[in-house]
Amino acid sequence: MSENVTGSVTGDFDARLRAWFDERGWRLFDFQREARDAYLAGESGLIHSPTGSGKSLAAWLGPLAEAAAAGGADGGPRVLWITPLRALAVDTRENLAQAAAALGSDWRVEVRSGDTSQSVRARQRRRPPEALVTTPESLSVLLSYADGPSWFRRLHCVVVDEWHELLGTKRGVQLELCLARLRSIAPGLRTWGLSATLANLAEARDVLLGPGAAGRLVRGQSPKTVRIRSLLPETLERFPWAGHLGIRLLPAVVEAIESKGSTLLFTNTRSQAELWFQGLVDARPDWVGRIALHHGSIDRKLRQRIEDGLRAGELRCVVCTSSLDLGVDFSPVDQVMQVGSPKGVARLLQRAGRSGHQPGAVSEVLCVPTHAFELVEIAAARRAAEQGRIEARRPLVRSLDVLAQHLVTVALGGGFEAAAMRAEVGRSHAFAGITDTEWGWVMDFVTRGGQALQGYPQYRRVEAVDGRYRVTDRGIGQRHRMGIGTIASDTAMNIRWLTGGSLGTIEESFVSRLERGDRFLFAGRLVELARVRDMTAYVRRAKKGRRTVPRWQGGRMPLSTELADSVLEVLEAARSGADEPAEVTAVADLLELQRRWSRLPVPDELLVEVTRSREGVSLFCYPFAGRLVHEGLATLLAWRLSRQTPATFTLSANDYGLELLSREEPAIDEERLAGLFAPGDLEADLLACMNTSEIAKRRFRDIARIAGLVFQGYPGRGKSTRQIQASSGLIFDVLERYDSDNLLLDQARREVLESQLETRRMRETLAAIGDKRIVIERPERLTPLAFPLWAERLQSQIMSSESWRERVERMAASLERAAMRRRKSA
Amino acid sequence: MSALASEACAGAVPIDCAGEQLLLHHDRAVYWPRRRMLLVADVHLGKEWTFGRAGLAVPGGVTESDLQRLGRLLAQFGADELVVLGDFTHAPPGEADRWLDAIAAWLDEVDAAVSIVAGNHDRPATRQRMDPRIRWFAEPRPEPPFVLQHEPAPDGRGYGLGGHLHPAVRLRTGADRLRLPVFWFRDDHAVLPAFGTFTGGQNIRPAPGDRVFAVGPDAVVAL
Repeated sequence: MSENVTGSVTGDFDARLRAWFDERGWRLFDFQREARDAYLAGESGLIHSPTGSGKSLAAWLGPLAEAAAAGGADGGPRVLWITPLRALAVDTRENLAQAAAALGSDWRVEVRSGDTSQSVRARQRRRPPEALVTTPESLSVLLSYADGPSWFRRLHCVVVDEWHELLGTKRGVQLELCLARLRSIAPGLRTWGLSATLANLAEARDVLLGPGAAGRLVRGQSPKTVRIRSLLPETLERFPWAGHLGIRLLPAVVEAIESKGSTLLFTNTRSQAELWFQGLVDARPDWVGRIALHHGSIDRKLRQRIEDGLRAGELRCVVCTSSLDLGVDFSPVDQVMQVGSPKGVARLLQRAGRSGHQPGAVSEVLCVPTHAFELVEIAAARRAAEQGRIEARRPLVRSLDVLAQHLVTVALGGGFEAAAMRAEVGRSHAFAGITDTEWGWVMDFVTRGGQALQGYPQYRRVEAVDGRYRVTDRGIGQRHRMGIGTIASDTAMNIRWLTGGSLGTIEESFVSRLERGDRFLFAGRLVELARVRDMTAYVRRAKKGRRTVPRWQGGRMPLSTELADSVLEVLEAARSGADEPAEVTAVADLLELQRRWSRLPVPDELLVEVTRSREGVSLFCYPFAGRLVHEGLATLLAWRLSRQTPATFTLSANDYGLELLSREEPAIDEERLAGLFAPGDLEADLLACMNTSEIAKRRFRDIARIAGLVFQGYPGRGKSTRQIQASSGLIFDVLERYDSDNLLLDQARREVLESQLETRRMRETLAAIGDKRIVIERPERLTPLAFPLWAERLQSQIMSSESWRERVERMAASLERAAMRRRKSA
Repeated sequence: MSALASEACAGAVPIDCAGEQLLLHHDRAVYWPRRRMLLVADVHLGKEWTFGRAGLAVPGGVTESDLQRLGRLLAQFGADELVVLGDFTHAPPGEADRWLDAIAAWLDEVDAAVSIVAGNHDRPATRQRMDPRIRWFAEPRPEPPFVLQHEPAPDGRGYGLGGHLHPAVRLRTGADRLRLPVFWFRDDHAVLPAFGTFTGGQNIRPAPGDRVFAVGPDAVVAL
């Protein structure tokens, strides 16, 4: 393309660019020049660089320069800018539009997302903007319109912002398919990704560009220096060993916030964010109006006001979750704080990057531990960051539910021909390896509802008309478009005041556990559930009183391998006297207790503790492999043990280890334990023990929704579709019974193995255990490491070889005991 | 009782209700020995066809298999009559639906009389096209000491036996959890679990004095 760029036009553009940069006091970085030139030379690629370092501009200069050279545009967008969160779209648009105007471009930059009004949508279809900022879901919806393909014919470039956030998720898979589609529609399309630093950047690029496509990896600014500090409690006395929300450091946090002009206080879950916000308001009522709460469930307009307030410097502190991890170049805040363990190195570095935004400035993050061992994790995060060890994100493959959805989307959007479509799908990383059987099954599923559905003459979702697959039924098309947006999360219900006005959205699974009159914190307010109707939860303000905090899914991330390994190294370094950071000194007493009552875990040993209590015998193991792996290992161990002797185990797991509680002591010694931890036929064993659990069924929720097996109803039109509403659990049962070969069931099991249980990491853990010495200690009481597991048991699972009847009778007996206690106390 | 096949009795739990003996079967049915009457509620036949028509790929065969279950129960108990306490069907059949034929074929095989107390899902359009061998009751049907009904409610004429709610309970000890359909016997009426395989449930809150029986894969257990 560069030969088309005439000298004078480029000269003009460069002069404007220089003037604009001079005016701002910026300079063009080498990586920005490299990305622009590569784009003009027709290349695709991935730009990686820390947040706020000018990545967006690096990807934007190329298309603008090209447009300046080529002159007038017509008939369809030239640049599509994909952002993972629709909350980011507005800011992104402003940044892009500002740069375009400053560089003399007459391009219109517009947003298209779920929030875009009907009239704007209609105008955009008639008169497309040159650049469109959108989300993966909205792109899918655009491709589902009959004129979608022709609309995108003149597209030159797709920029995928925050690609690291989409990589490894089903939304990422959906986007891969849409990109393959766009490349068929607009040959020569260039794809550029923007990513934070990852361990597997080359892979991230290859997934984005599709198999076999060459692309450049542009390295942005070298990472800013990040300083990681801890808020050390003055005394560890009464400092919880486990699981509490750590609000007791509140006074110190208030003091820290007071010492700086602006603070972002990151928490790991939305419920923690609600609690900290409430705590701050209670502690400093004078701050009301100058502190705010920001999380993904809060209404968009409210979030927008908060972001504006932060930019304008009106807010002293914003309590937030990962909703502020991404994008948006706010003017940097003075201080970033992290409540609780960051669980991963990359995440902590990214959050730290929110402070000291000026290139070259030092970023700093102040970590607030919520229990004692988190201090060690903070030290471990610092150690790993210094050594440059950060996490990778692995792409998903063969998500047949997403493929089924995409095929219906394309069938709606002008239709497809089977062979061409198969080839197109194969040009995405996720489906490069799809087998004939899988392809045939998915085609069968969308056309005839799968093998088991052949008896329905009236079933039709996608129909072949003269060799072209299309959706002909309007109702099916309408329902499908509604379903596209729901890929990301649990069914979201609107939450509104009884008197009118929206507060945001809330997971249906949370609302379904509430009764009328129950109180909970939402968006920083105590509210009371009044009624639920048509996918909307109506609330009213509640007076002070007992409350439930919404517990949203997805909040609990497992400790990353990198961080977990680093924890063991920090402990080892402290033991050998090689290095003792302040955090470890602060918990020295606790570590000493652990050493005296049992021993300290170190990299070349697997520590096992057997402890008797009133409830029975607990077997604690500490592989330090993250909660998900430990949950899987606990299930596996319990299953292997209960096959030797019938027994019932209560399981619990956290990031450090796992506990198996049983009435009798299982017959174990070092050698037998080594046998139980042998990898063996891991997947077969896991699948066998999962039959008695509900994990696969829970996993099926998303799959059923994405593949279009359940329909959730139209907001506000609950009744008209009631006859075709069923829970995914019920569909799962029916499929298992009447269509056991359904590949979506297979996918549910596979996802449990890959994502839920992290089988790959589990296998690595088992291999690592094989190289370790197993040491069994028999402490008389719960050690500091065991206590958090014991305290977590409320959320634990049962693994049993008892019959159904025995279980029910045991539960019925305990119901009676509880009833008797109630009667006595009454 | 003596007339009953022993295998049918083995799985069923006898209870006293309104002075009569009833047998609760784990396949979600009640047998009334004195009247040789089998009672089920909320069968929702044809539901998978309704889903299929809407482009939701639920496998077929649910209707046929639920009819087989009904036939098996009638044979095991040697019942003279089957009474469905409402929602025998899920929605009016589509033009090409064949589940009405499945019902007709099943009626050919069945020895007992079949009657239905209409439920809210049993629309007039369905009833018109239903096999004429089936007797419909538009209103609750008194069978002293009981009143056979769909929506459970006290009825001055007798002890109500109904369905409609798809009752279930959630059980837990420690961390062990189960959700099970139940028979729910209250002061003046009882609610049967939904019979259909493709039906969900809703959790109930029993009051003191209520008798609740959980239904498992192979047994009925009093809670």
